[in-house]
Amino acid sequence: MKYASAEVRKQFFTEMFTRDISLEDCVLDLIDNSIDSYLVKHGISTAQLIFGSDGTDPGRPPGAINVTCTERQIKVADTCGGISRPRAVNDIFCFGYEEAPHRGRLGAYGVGMKRALFKIGNNFHIVSRTAQEGFEVSLKVDDWVEQEEWRIPITFIEGADSEKKAGTSITITELHEEVAQRIKQGGVPNNILNDAATTYPYFLDRCVTLNINNTDVSPEPVPLGEKDGVVKSANEKFEQNGVRVTLVATIAPGQRTTEQAGWYILCNGRVVVRGNKDDLTGWGSDLASFQPKYRSFAGLASFESDDPLRLPWTTTKRGINRESGVFIQARGLMATMSKPILSFLNSQYPSDPTTETADIRGAVEGVTRIDFKDIASRPPSGFSYKAPKKKEKKTDWVRFQASVASLDKVRRHVRRPSLTPSDIGKLTLDHFVKTECAAD
Amino acid sequence: MSETSSSYRVQYDLRPAKQVERRMIIDALQRLSTAGFPITDYQYTGFGAIYFVDFILFHKLLGMSRLLSLEQEPSLISRVEFNKPFSCVDTRMFPASSEIPNLSRDIQHIVWLDYDGVMDKSFLSDIQSAMTILSPGSVLLVTVDVEPPEDYDYKEVDPDFDSSKKVLGPKEWKDYFEYHASSFLRLGLSEEDFGKSKLVLRSAEILRAAFTKSIVARPELEFLPMFHFVYKDSHKMLSMGGMITGRAEKRQLRASTLRDTVYYRDTFDAPPFEITVPRLTRKERAYLDRQMPCADGWVPDEFVLEAEEVRRYSEIYRFLPAFAEILL
Repeated sequence: MKYASAEVRKQFFTEMFTRDISLEDCVLDLIDNSIDSYLVKHGISTAQLIFGSDGTDPGRPPGAINVTCTERQIKVADTCGGISRPRAVNDIFCFGYEEAPHRGRLGAYGVGMKRALFKIGNNFHIVSRTAQEGFEVSLKVDDWVEQEEWRIPITFIEGADSEKKAGTSITITELHEEVAQRIKQGGVPNNILNDAATTYPYFLDRCVTLNINNTDVSPEPVPLGEKDGVVKSANEKFEQNGVRVTLVATIAPGQRTTEQAGWYILCNGRVVVRGNKDDLTGWGSDLASFQPKYRSFAGLASFESDDPLRLPWTTTKRGINRESGVFIQARGLMATMSKPILSFLNSQYPSDPTTETADIRGAVEGVTRIDFKDIASRPPSGFSYKAPKKKEKKTDWVRFQASVASLDKVRRHVRRPSLTPSDIGKLTLDHFVKTECAAD
Repeated sequence: MSETSSSYRVQYDLRPAKQVERRMIIDALQRLSTAGFPITDYQYTGFGAIYFVDFILFHKLLGMSRLLSLEQEPSLISRVEFNKPFSCVDTRMFPASSEIPNLSRDIQHIVWLDYDGVMDKSFLSDIQSAMTILSPGSVLLVTVDVEPPEDYDYKEVDPDFDSSKKVLGPKEWKDYFEYHASSFLRLGLSEEDFGKSKLVLRSAEILRAAFTKSIVARPELEFLPMFHFVYKDSHKMLSMGGMITGRAEKRQLRASTLRDTVYYRDTFDAPPFEITVPRLTRKERAYLDRQMPCADGWVPDEFVLEAEEVRRYSEIYRFLPAFAEILL
């Protein structure tokens, strides 16, 4: 038997698969690892963060993640617990996921950190300490590529001594020219900050704090709204193949931009798709194509699993694998539950507006923010709109033309020449009610 | 007032082929009931318009009392309310697109999307909704007009179309179907495939693809065909439908007596059941009925009727209405 060579080449990892991800998403991959360390260390499930109380715990200081992004280096340092020596030696530098059960929540494929390191620069330095033990790795990637072996030198160092200080620091230097160029152009730290704010609303300030170039990142939750007794959101739940799915679709509160509208998709609490309004979530195929009149539409789809490999995310965690069975099932429901909301938003713009149109517009404008967990805790139901009850009219106008002669007759009769026409109207009506009508 | 609303165009209660279809569906539901499906407790959702013919039959013959009629023509509201035949009929002046998604997940349904127009993307979207949310044991039935699209249908595809300058033909009908259902059509279809006589086949392929597309998203369930009718009172119509089943419902359906009937179709691969109503006088019908069910090849002695016509009559006589004038 003859064989064709099918060997792995290091260049594939250092030069090829780094092309399919943005610089910003690479940094987010490193942040994912920090968050994951914290979750694993404290045994926190993503369900607790999404559906539990606010996720904070006074007895558990939040992990701090600090990101530095300059033309010279990108550094992500955290106090999230550190990486154990066995994982460092046997797992984290391997390409592909470990066979052992996945303990992490946000790490699935075993590519994120390596891809980020290779994408960003030629030199990286990792120091990680748990309370008990630590390790250090320094590598020049171009030298490593030349070598035959698929291994990386590692040095064991002392632990951090305290749980509070335990953490990992990753520093990448000798940035690749194109990466340095992009950072020089400006905007990258801002992008990372904005991306992180919208990607980690269920983690930031609940279990970790994040700081980018000395600026704190505040979470930006997915905007969902309702109006008490008038606008009620749709929600659905199901489980498939170990993935728990919760879907909510509703009207977003406040003034919305087209960019913010659409579906948000969470995988284990991490936002992987933001404001989607294309075929991925049914727009333009099962639903109408997106138009600005739908800009108040907001949907949130949460996929959660103890085994992150079962989630429908792509390796960049910025997209969805359309061939995922659980996503295919969810997508049908997402499109279906959106339809009544689109009809409702459509009805704001009829060919001839009525008072009902004003009610509908009022309802859209009047929705206020509601938490995902509050909607998700209810039994599944469809979107509903109930027109607000009309206030019963207590008064109405009486307006008519009367002859000057008859008005003067009344003035003479009551001997009050200064009465205005309006006074006369009121006087005569009161008189009629008093003298001719039965008492209430 | 919309001239396209069929309530204004069609005298619903005087369509014999349609009535045969309704009676066959009721026959099927009675058989399902015998097979253990609690049809009486099902909710029926349909388009009752102002006649409510199906609602009357479903309530009286099947004992169903959860009945919901959807109507999207606002100018009909007072007539819809006035003509509501029973207090248990709930009417909502909303399109199916906003009501189907909110049907209860906790009960079983019979949903008849009895459209009076030619294929439209909104129909496919409604099918998607129904197939996504209906609980196992529910029955979904879809009826569409399979005549060529009319000028006003085509205007949606090409707003500049001028009917005084051009007559629609297979090319425009192809454009029309591609506009509304491109992802449901198979590749490589030519203009000839959209000739008038082929539109029933194209429409059937589209409906079938629409059923499949949405049911595969629910891996534990199947959509089992039951009905595939073609009939014509004025326009040629196509109805296709079946049941959403899990394993239990599938067994139950297979064990029912539906397969003993002439109209049951357990696959859409088989040709549709064509409802053809022979033109017979009252006296001829009374004569034929006395011989029914008849042996194969039997023909009457008293007057000339071809064996094929007798065969067709023998398939539908149980379901065929007799119309008479009543003086109100």
